[in-house]
Amino acid sequence: MVERALNVFWILLGVGAAAHAWTIGLTGPSGPESGLFPLLAGLIVAGAGVALLLLPSHRASAPAWPRGTALGRVLGVVVGLALMAFAIPHLGFAAAAAITMIVLLRTVERSSWIGSIALTIGAVAGVMWFFGHVLGMSLPRGPWGW
Amino acid sequence: MGALEGLATGFGVILTPANLYYCFIGSLIGTLVGVLPGIGPLAALALLLPVTFTLTPVAGLAMLAAIFYGAMYGGSTTSILVNIPGEAASVVTTLDGHQLARQGRAGAALGIAALGSFMAGTASLVLLTFFAPALAAIAIRFGPPENFGLMVLGLVCTLYMITGSAVKGVLTIALGFLATAIGIDVVNGRDRFTFGSVNLIAGIELLAVVIGLFGVAEILANVEHLARNTLLAERIRGLWPTAADWRASWRPILRGSGLGFLLGLVPGGGPVTAAFMSYAVERRIARDPARFGKGAIEGVAGPESANNAAVAGSMIPLLSLGIPSNAVTALLLGALVIQGIQPGPLFMTQRPDLFWGVVASMYVGNVFLLVLNLPLVGLWVQLLRVPYRVLFPIVLLLAVVGTYSANKNVFDLWVMLGFGVAGYVLRKLEYDLAPFVIAFVLAPLLEQSLRQSLVMSPDGAMILVQRPVTAALLAASAVLVVLMLRRKRPSKGGST
Repeated sequence: MVERALNVFWILLGVGAAAHAWTIGLTGPSGPESGLFPLLAGLIVAGAGVALLLLPSHRASAPAWPRGTALGRVLGVVVGLALMAFAIPHLGFAAAAAITMIVLLRTVERSSWIGSIALTIGAVAGVMWFFGHVLGMSLPRGPWGW
Repeated sequence: MGALEGLATGFGVILTPANLYYCFIGSLIGTLVGVLPGIGPLAALALLLPVTFTLTPVAGLAMLAAIFYGAMYGGSTTSILVNIPGEAASVVTTLDGHQLARQGRAGAALGIAALGSFMAGTASLVLLTFFAPALAAIAIRFGPPENFGLMVLGLVCTLYMITGSAVKGVLTIALGFLATAIGIDVVNGRDRFTFGSVNLIAGIELLAVVIGLFGVAEILANVEHLARNTLLAERIRGLWPTAADWRASWRPILRGSGLGFLLGLVPGGGPVTAAFMSYAVERRIARDPARFGKGAIEGVAGPESANNAAVAGSMIPLLSLGIPSNAVTALLLGALVIQGIQPGPLFMTQRPDLFWGVVASMYVGNVFLLVLNLPLVGLWVQLLRVPYRVLFPIVLLLAVVGTYSANKNVFDLWVMLGFGVAGYVLRKLEYDLAPFVIAFVLAPLLEQSLRQSLVMSPDGAMILVQRPVTAALLAASAVLVVLMLRRKRPSKGGST
């Protein structure tokens, strides 16, 4: 089911990309224009999508999708990362990373409060020290200056 | 510059405290990712690419290359001691390595693995030293048409690398082309697929793509099955192999070195194929094949030598032609691009310091790894006690910081997350993701060289057949495509 939906998505993506590439322009006086390569790539994507839809031998053999706790852990990581990407511009790296990590450790891994906080402080401080101090990278700061 | 003169230059470049330090750090991290199951060299390289921003190109590339070959060394430790391969190229080592450990001969297995890796790594580096300059000397005469032919050949060779469905492989290559088309066209400054978004004008960030596809996707796959590691209770004794072990192992080490080097050269070969092939060869020519799987030292010596030799082999097309032969070398190519260095035939003449510095760093790194993997094996075993549930949030933080550091743009984090989820789903559906990254790196170079060729040609596309080297490269690509179409290929396979 997922694979069929994905194959339909490839067809739509390929056709859409090819159509857009057509509007950019395919050839000019000195050869290929900006749209030619994306057009070809889009057509190949769409064609491959059709082939995958029609040829069952190219489908994955019973992919094992996560269920129950495993699915919860996978979704937890995805939501955690999305939360962090959303929070960084508002809270800065340190606070966003700390909140995300505590949430991940408490909900995904069900670690104890003390263990989660200790690991979070250590990990965030370590990453900030390594990237900020050792490598001299400027990490985003929150409204409180860190 | 001759090979020996170049190598001397390379040692002059690498033998500085800073470069040695980063070579050592790369060896250390490589061993670490090799030892720890759940994070392979590909994910580690993807996560550590941003670190190289702040380093000189020599230090950055030496560190990344050391992670690659360091992981080959470290991978054998967990395969032998706990029957869990730290990375894919050490899977085959579990067969006899762990049996030897169960018989109380873990020390001998670890010793042969480390010494065999060192010998094979050094021997294949000698071949790299002399072979790569010869190839680059030919490639130096290449202009845009020849470069186009080379890139086409590189992409066709990428098709060989595809595991599983060929249609899915072709699709991922085309997706790589599409993804790289996003942003401003460098030839005429026109917007492509930006849809008015400021974030897309500069294109999709390579780091966000590789960290998502290989770092985040790997974390998602690993958190699905969190397992506790069980350690071998026995102490490891006798790391130096006996005379009988050496007698049994020297031929497999030599064969593994040669086989690994050759398979490293071939696109799609690489350390994993080399290790499996070496095991198959050793078993086939053994007087008593029944010993294999029950603790034959040759089953450790051959594959462990082969996977290390394959690393040096795979550096030849990368450094002399700018063609990656596997996903890890594609990331190394990405590192060159990020550093503003144009990969390809001119790399060796334009940046001999970098080329020879990296080659020399691999000699030095091999020595570091021997020291790290023999006397310190007990330390690595202790690291196995760190559960993955503790490691993965830290790895996630590294992924976020690494991605953000490229452009200081939060949009890249969303790209990373998107590619992470996509990579996880596509791996489940048996898509090989390595061709995507290779296409992502090669596509702009291919497009640019074709358009430059057509601009400089009075006869249009005829220039591609009028130039003998270009015609030969395109003909070779066509022959490969025909051979691939005729090759009997299993319709189902693993994924990256």
